[in-house]
Amino acid sequence: MPVIETKNITYTYSPGTPFQMDAMTDVSIAVEKGDFVGIIGHTGSGKSTLVQHLNGLLRPSSGQVLLNGKDIWAEPKKIRAVRFRVGLVFQYPEHQLFEETAYKDIAFGPKNMELPEEEIDARVRRAAEFVGLKPELLEKSPFELSGGEKRRVAIAGVMAMQPEVLILDEPTAGLDPKGRDMILEQIRAYQQENQTTVLLVSHSMEDIARVAKRVLVMNKGKVAMYDETPAVFSRAEELTAIGLAIPAVTKVFMLLRDKGCPVGENVYTVAQAAERLLPLLKKGGGTDA
Amino acid sequence: MLNGITIGQYFPGDSLLHRMDPRVKLVLTFVYIFAVFIPQNWVGLALAVCFLVFSVAVSRLPVKLVLKSVKPIIPLIIITSALNIFYVDEGVHLFDWGFIHITTQGLVTAAFIAIRILSLIAGSSLLTYTTSPTTLTDALERLMKPLKVFHLNVHELAMMMTIALRFIPTLVEETDKIMSAQKARGADMESGGLMQRVRALIPILIPLFVSSFRRAYELATAMECRCYRGGEGRTRMKQLHMNAMDGVCIAVMAVLVAGLFVLNFVLPAAL
Repeated sequence: MPVIETKNITYTYSPGTPFQMDAMTDVSIAVEKGDFVGIIGHTGSGKSTLVQHLNGLLRPSSGQVLLNGKDIWAEPKKIRAVRFRVGLVFQYPEHQLFEETAYKDIAFGPKNMELPEEEIDARVRRAAEFVGLKPELLEKSPFELSGGEKRRVAIAGVMAMQPEVLILDEPTAGLDPKGRDMILEQIRAYQQENQTTVLLVSHSMEDIARVAKRVLVMNKGKVAMYDETPAVFSRAEELTAIGLAIPAVTKVFMLLRDKGCPVGENVYTVAQAAERLLPLLKKGGGTDA
Repeated sequence: MLNGITIGQYFPGDSLLHRMDPRVKLVLTFVYIFAVFIPQNWVGLALAVCFLVFSVAVSRLPVKLVLKSVKPIIPLIIITSALNIFYVDEGVHLFDWGFIHITTQGLVTAAFIAIRILSLIAGSSLLTYTTSPTTLTDALERLMKPLKVFHLNVHELAMMMTIALRFIPTLVEETDKIMSAQKARGADMESGGLMQRVRALIPILIPLFVSSFRRAYELATAMECRCYRGGEGRTRMKQLHMNAMDGVCIAVMAVLVAGLFVLNFVLPAAL
């Protein structure tokens, strides 16, 4: 049974005003337990709207959201419990920090869960470790930290709730390449160690290619594709037609293939590229392309 | 959740009211606000209300929207009505209990004043619904120009107002986002006693403050980068023009005010 599932959800912003707009129409997806799904799409394609439905921040205008097979809106009063089970890290999450110390900020979620003190402490330290925050930073004010550190504190704040499903909305936006690599790596490590289901929203194909097992492509509020990562990237032309760039490495390899270089298909990370190229180089180039 | 805030929320359209010169609209709105206080009898008040209904019809705004603008002041209306009901001691006594007397005259006064306040609020919200905030401040800047005589820097005031208005939706959006983010971490804002609810606002207010300051610095830098240095010698992209239709509107309002005065003389006062 999928851990999280949407059934034909549609969401309309500001109904009944001239600003009325369908942000999402008829979206049905199912995510299996332990999956790592990348969600990609243009600005305004409905990806942020979709993820806010998964933890009940938005209520679909029509359709259902199922968590472990149960409609999350069956009992609207218990929606808070759903939010502890489906953790959502917003875009630029560092803007939500408010506590005196980073430690207290990370503890905000677990505290709201009314966990015992020792449990909270253990969770905060574990989450901080996952995102690579040095323990001495925990006692600092979050406003004294650097941009990248603030972001980690904010991500740790959601991880500390130990949700069954972790959703991150553009966790790497605005970070330098090094910070981006580190955060992605930590999220991947977290997912593998805890077997958590992770949904990662991004508009960087490179990011998604590196970590996601499955990819959901959103376009104009609808699901354009939802498949295993290689299957999605093999539809390069369709992706380009939507206006999404395929990873630069994939593009280079497609060109190489066109020139008759036997590099094979489905290359979408630099690591894979190296793997394919090194044997060829050892053979002495292979072709004259 | 915050979609209920409508102050400064422009409702785009192409009606006569939308196209009116904002200066004329602003002045006429003020005239109308005073005009609601002219009538001393029900016929006059009915005329003022009819004028409002007519204006809403002309503006082609959804009636629901106009009614929504009145919602926040309902408590105020209830309080003023209650005061009137209890303090007016004329007319037939309907209910006596200790020092509390409810009289027919008290009820009439309460209803009269409630209708006045309602028309006043609905009338002024019509201005903000049909005029974009920037146009409105433009109009204000032009109208207040004569105050320069008193060494009042009208341009700066108008710029401050424009910026404030411009940032209301941004801040509302920001608040919405921060609220969602804290709710995602299990913040509970809907239950608990007063103190608990006030405390629940801290996780929202602090990030909001921080981001407002950040935005202010960024905006100041951006303005300086574009060589902003006050209103001296600044020209406008959109010039304001009055046309024949504005003249007609002024005339209609003049007739309304005159009519209200005349009705006061012709008919006996209701209060």
